[in-house]
Amino acid sequence: MFRKTFLLIVLITLLLAGCGPDALSGEAPASAAITLTDGLGRSVILNEAAKRVVSLAPSNTEILFAVGAREQVIGRDEFSDYPAEAASIESVGGSMGEYSVEAIVALKPDLVLAAEINSPELVKQLEDLGLTVYYLANPSTLEELYVNLEIVAQLTGEDPTKLTDSLKARVDAVDEKIMPLSFHPSVFYEIDATDPSKPYTYGPGTFGDLLITRAGGFNIGGELTDPYPQISLEQIVVSNPSIIVLGDSMWGVTIESVVARPGWETIEAVKSSQIFPIDDNLISRPGPRLVDGLEQLAKLLHPGLFE
Amino acid sequence: MRKPFLASFLVLLIAFILSLAFGSVFISHKELWGILRGIGDETFSFIIWQIRLPRTILVALTGAALSGSGAAYQGLFRNPLADPFLIGVASGAGLGAVIAMSIQWPYSFWGLMAIPMAAFITALLTVFIVYMIARVGQTIPTTNLILAGVAFSSFATSLTSFLMLRSTSEVRRALGWLLGGASQAGWAAILAMLPYLVMGLGILLFSGYRLNLLQFGDDQAQQLGLNVTRTKTILLVAASLATAAAVAFSGIIGFIGLIVPHLMRLWFGGDYRRLIPLSIIGGASALLTSDIIARIVLAPQEIPVGIITALVGAPFFLWVLRRAKNQGYW
Repeated sequence: MFRKTFLLIVLITLLLAGCGPDALSGEAPASAAITLTDGLGRSVILNEAAKRVVSLAPSNTEILFAVGAREQVIGRDEFSDYPAEAASIESVGGSMGEYSVEAIVALKPDLVLAAEINSPELVKQLEDLGLTVYYLANPSTLEELYVNLEIVAQLTGEDPTKLTDSLKARVDAVDEKIMPLSFHPSVFYEIDATDPSKPYTYGPGTFGDLLITRAGGFNIGGELTDPYPQISLEQIVVSNPSIIVLGDSMWGVTIESVVARPGWETIEAVKSSQIFPIDDNLISRPGPRLVDGLEQLAKLLHPGLFE
Repeated sequence: MRKPFLASFLVLLIAFILSLAFGSVFISHKELWGILRGIGDETFSFIIWQIRLPRTILVALTGAALSGSGAAYQGLFRNPLADPFLIGVASGAGLGAVIAMSIQWPYSFWGLMAIPMAAFITALLTVFIVYMIARVGQTIPTTNLILAGVAFSSFATSLTSFLMLRSTSEVRRALGWLLGGASQAGWAAILAMLPYLVMGLGILLFSGYRLNLLQFGDDQAQQLGLNVTRTKTILLVAASLATAAAVAFSGIIGFIGLIVPHLMRLWFGGDYRRLIPLSIIGGASALLTSDIIARIVLAPQEIPVGIITALVGAPFFLWVLRRAKNQGYW
């Protein structure tokens, strides 16, 4: 009898679950000035360039400022700390994964710029409240970063040419020096080593992996399968990286503390003191400062080429 | 208190109004009164009707479902440590949600429904599996149910953690969900969960007498004319249905389902005919209060409500427990 009841419940479930109002039946396209498809495959329509923009990610805030739309940014997420003047913009939360939807609505934005760190549920919620949301997908190459900059510039009515030209020139300058090299020093990039016997590192497909490779290095984390894996100390010792980059230096990890870790003294980078702190925000935020990160990594890996 | 229902309804009403009045955007009580009568600032009334009211209702319904089910579980298992997650609803739902999150769903109505639906279905599936494992012939011994539930829950929780570590990009989303939070607020969520709540809590409301009989133990209850196995099954299905629906949309909110029934029992006694409805009303008030605190403590930041329930609820409960005059009230 219970078996039947259960089947019945599952059936009712499947039937009723569809009863919510279908709010996705979109509005008819107006004679729009700007129509773009976003990272969720949604068609986003702006009648004119956005004048009141809320940014939901630090990378988005950095992009908005870089393309020259700083005056239009009226709201930002809690983590947006660059450039420093972003701090004076009203925060709409987000540090615990929860954004204040009320605060976003009260700002009356004509564009909310979301990123991949935001959930599709949040996009839906804001969309249902009548807001225009553009979901900016993460770039997987530096070339895709330029496209993202162009998209944001288009949404805000700015001209990105100068910015993208200068970024391209800087990347080209690095490429020119790195491309001919056949020597690629092995690199261990440390994101977090709260447990020094298995620190976190950048795996394949992450910006960290991308930038280390482009800077002429061999990322030992790139050999693993997960994007943000914990690599065992044994694996690090076997891979024997010649350079260690400390992405966690902003959290108080120092060169001395790495040298003092038991078991790390056999690693080539520790023996030859090739340990360098870096600002992880240059590596982890998919914004224009990725190019800064690339330049810094290239200098660390091939100091002779950049004198 | 001589009129427990009147008192608890009053508390609920106050909590409901406060929940409408407080949020990260300041709206004065004069403006709120105007908005409720249909006049007032356009943006503010939009915030009240489209953000705060649906959220308030969702939170109240979730609290009601968790506490009502908690009271029923405590009676069913005759165990003061029982909560609605005891035999795997939460861990099952968590597993389903994290599996669903690891898949790239298209941005559509059904794509967005995938996570709550997966959570709901795996929650019920978990309870079903535990039930089948615990069954001995025609009976379901309580100890078997608890042990099978705890073991299976641990299994599902470990699997959830493993999946979360494998797909690190979704950790923030998964963690937010597991800590509880009305992430998919709005009227759609309420409409989708309401049928199950009405069904589940409705059955529980009419089961007070049977729960009272179960307190004598399975054998005695059977001799008193109660079909024990059937009653247990119906209660399990009803409570799990309500809990699973609440969890699917609000995430896993701990402590409410454990502690509110105990508070009601301390204040108003252990008669399940009163305890179930009082727990339902009290649960709604308690979760509303927690949610108000979660919204205003760090405004405009919001804290996942699952953190607040125990952080504020536990000291409050200990204080009530210390003051309680009736020793061994259970």
